[in-house]
Amino acid sequence: MDSKFAVDLEHVVRTYKRDEFEVHALDDVTIQVPESRFVAIMGPSGSGKTTMLNLIAGIDHPTSGRVAVGGEEITGMKERDLAAWRARHIGLVFQFYNLIPVLTAFENVELPLLLTNLGKAERREHVETALKVVGLADRMDHYPRQLSGGQEQRVAIARAIVTDPTIVVADEPTGDLDAKSAEDILGLMVDLNQQFHKTIVMVTHDPRAERYVDTVYRLDKGVLAGVEPGKRARGAEAAEASA
Amino acid sequence: MKYAMLVLKNLLRSKRRTILTVLSIAVSLFIFSALVSLPAVANRVLSDTASSVRVACHNKAGVTYSMPEAYKQRIAMTKHVVAVVPQSWFGGIYHEMSDQFPNFAIDPEQAETMWPDWGVSAEQWQSFRDLRTACLVGPGTMKRFSLHIGQQIQLRGTLYHFNVQLKIVGVMGGKAPPNFLVFRRDYLEEAEGRPGLVDNFWVRVDKSENVPQVIAALDEGFANSSAETKSETEAAFVSTFINQFKFFFQLAEVLGFVVVITIGLVAANTAAMSIRERRGEIAVMRSIGFTSRTILSLLLSESLLIGLIGGIVGCGAAFLVLHLFAVGASAMGAFGDIQMPAFVLVGTLVIAALIGILSALVPAMSASRRNIVDALRTVV
Ligand SMILES: Nc1ncnc2c1ncn2[C@@H]1O[C@H](COP(=O)(O)OP(=O)(O)O)[C@@H](O)[C@H]1O
Ligand SMILES: [Mg+2]
Repeated sequence: MDSKFAVDLEHVVRTYKRDEFEVHALDDVTIQVPESRFVAIMGPSGSGKTTMLNLIAGIDHPTSGRVAVGGEEITGMKERDLAAWRARHIGLVFQFYNLIPVLTAFENVELPLLLTNLGKAERREHVETALKVVGLADRMDHYPRQLSGGQEQRVAIARAIVTDPTIVVADEPTGDLDAKSAEDILGLMVDLNQQFHKTIVMVTHDPRAERYVDTVYRLDKGVLAGVEPGKRARGAEAAEASA
Repeated sequence: MKYAMLVLKNLLRSKRRTILTVLSIAVSLFIFSALVSLPAVANRVLSDTASSVRVACHNKAGVTYSMPEAYKQRIAMTKHVVAVVPQSWFGGIYHEMSDQFPNFAIDPEQAETMWPDWGVSAEQWQSFRDLRTACLVGPGTMKRFSLHIGQQIQLRGTLYHFNVQLKIVGVMGGKAPPNFLVFRRDYLEEAEGRPGLVDNFWVRVDKSENVPQVIAALDEGFANSSAETKSETEAAFVSTFINQFKFFFQLAEVLGFVVVITIGLVAANTAAMSIRERRGEIAVMRSIGFTSRTILSLLLSESLLIGLIGGIVGCGAAFLVLHLFAVGASAMGAFGDIQMPAFVLVGTLVIAALIGILSALVPAMSASRRNIVDALRTVV
């Protein structure tokens, strides 16, 4: 499957067996996300959003169908190759930040770079740049417990982008934050997308997110229920039309 | 090496738990290495001193019973016997009761032939044969009382009611027990009023293959006489003393292993707990791209380090304690040069490494291979 899309899911089914029951977390979903887009996956709880994100991130396998990310099909990859592939192409952001508590902000961001061939000095340079991008250059030596939720999430985003991945995937990154911090994080994602042309796939509950993204994919009970342009895209079109 | 920081930071995650684990491993390996050293030291004393051609001939009734000195001539005439040296225990002290060390009297004529492995020079043997009050002293005893060659010393009798005045003519080295003092039996005999009794005969045989024949000849020759004899090789003779402790040595070894296994189980429990707490973090690291194998080696390095530090601390402490004990207790004679044998040192460190790795192996393997998505869902 040669694909020019950043994310290309074809007829993806993911079924979980729970006792005798089969749960169709995703049921024949096909989507294509072009490069350098900021898209949201929205839908009620249990609709399969996280499942879809995990498949894109290569930490879960589809029951059937094909998954290609950054033009590379990952459906049949072996576990070891997949780990190396994730290290190179995926930046993951979680709802609860998931920083390693015993490591400083700097060391948390450095973690993915340990898997590369970069020397110590180069790693430091990359980490400092990433922390600067998220506006936390002055908190490098802080431990996660010394940071606010919003700051922790910024560190997590720095960790996700420090390897310059093909695609950033975020699972409800604002889900645990107050309104102000949530807006900040969304703004930061937009910056990443616009300044560094990162493809970002974000799962969210947050209706505010619609204003920031190019496209919204709506899931319902494991089925793709709709694809709409985000308000940002509509705003841009409106601006073009009036000019 | 770039992972060293990760391993260290994780070790310091819960400092108290790490320190307690290290200490419990250290204490158990301290006990283990000290206990296991005892029989090993005893065995080494045996193999060091026992010459394959020396036979000890003592009273059949027991090593504390004496024999007539006249046996010397009969023993000397036995086929394959090269030298005979009668020996009597003096058991004197230098100044205080606490100044004990093994000292006894021997006949000087054939002593050099009997104990060429004592590292005494020909001139010193000659002085020993020339001077009636001469004595030879082991290096440990020399050092302990700051003695020097040529010095006049007095040994106070404890079994005997008289003291002996001796002149040091030489220092024993080589394979001689480091704390012995030997002087001449003719001097002892004279002071005692010539009772003509001997505690033990040392017999040197021409070749080691003739030893059994000589032993049989001696014991048969003295059968039905006033003092029947029991002869045995030097190794067997020394081991009759050591064998009295054999049961305790075996008990010590068993107890040592029991302690180690117990602490191994405790360490396993701790490792399982600490890894379980980190399942979420492990899943995050794997989602970032760390392989199961890297995670496994990180987890095992941590617990290997804990085991090894515990081992070094425990074994090092035992080494020191044994050493101090040896310095303070040179009165114990042959046991005076007690020191932890190298194989106990190496073995204890190997066991420490094994405790480290095995205690974490099972939980580390399952945590490093756990399904990432499940781990993220349940723990986060
Ligand atoms: N490991 C699993 N075992 C069984 N069922 C699961 C598992 N993971 C997800 N599911 C089910 O799949 C459906 C979709 O889950 P999920 O993708 O987490 O939804 P969302 O992120 O939209 O809330 C839910 O019904 C959920 O209960
Ligand atoms: Mg979810």
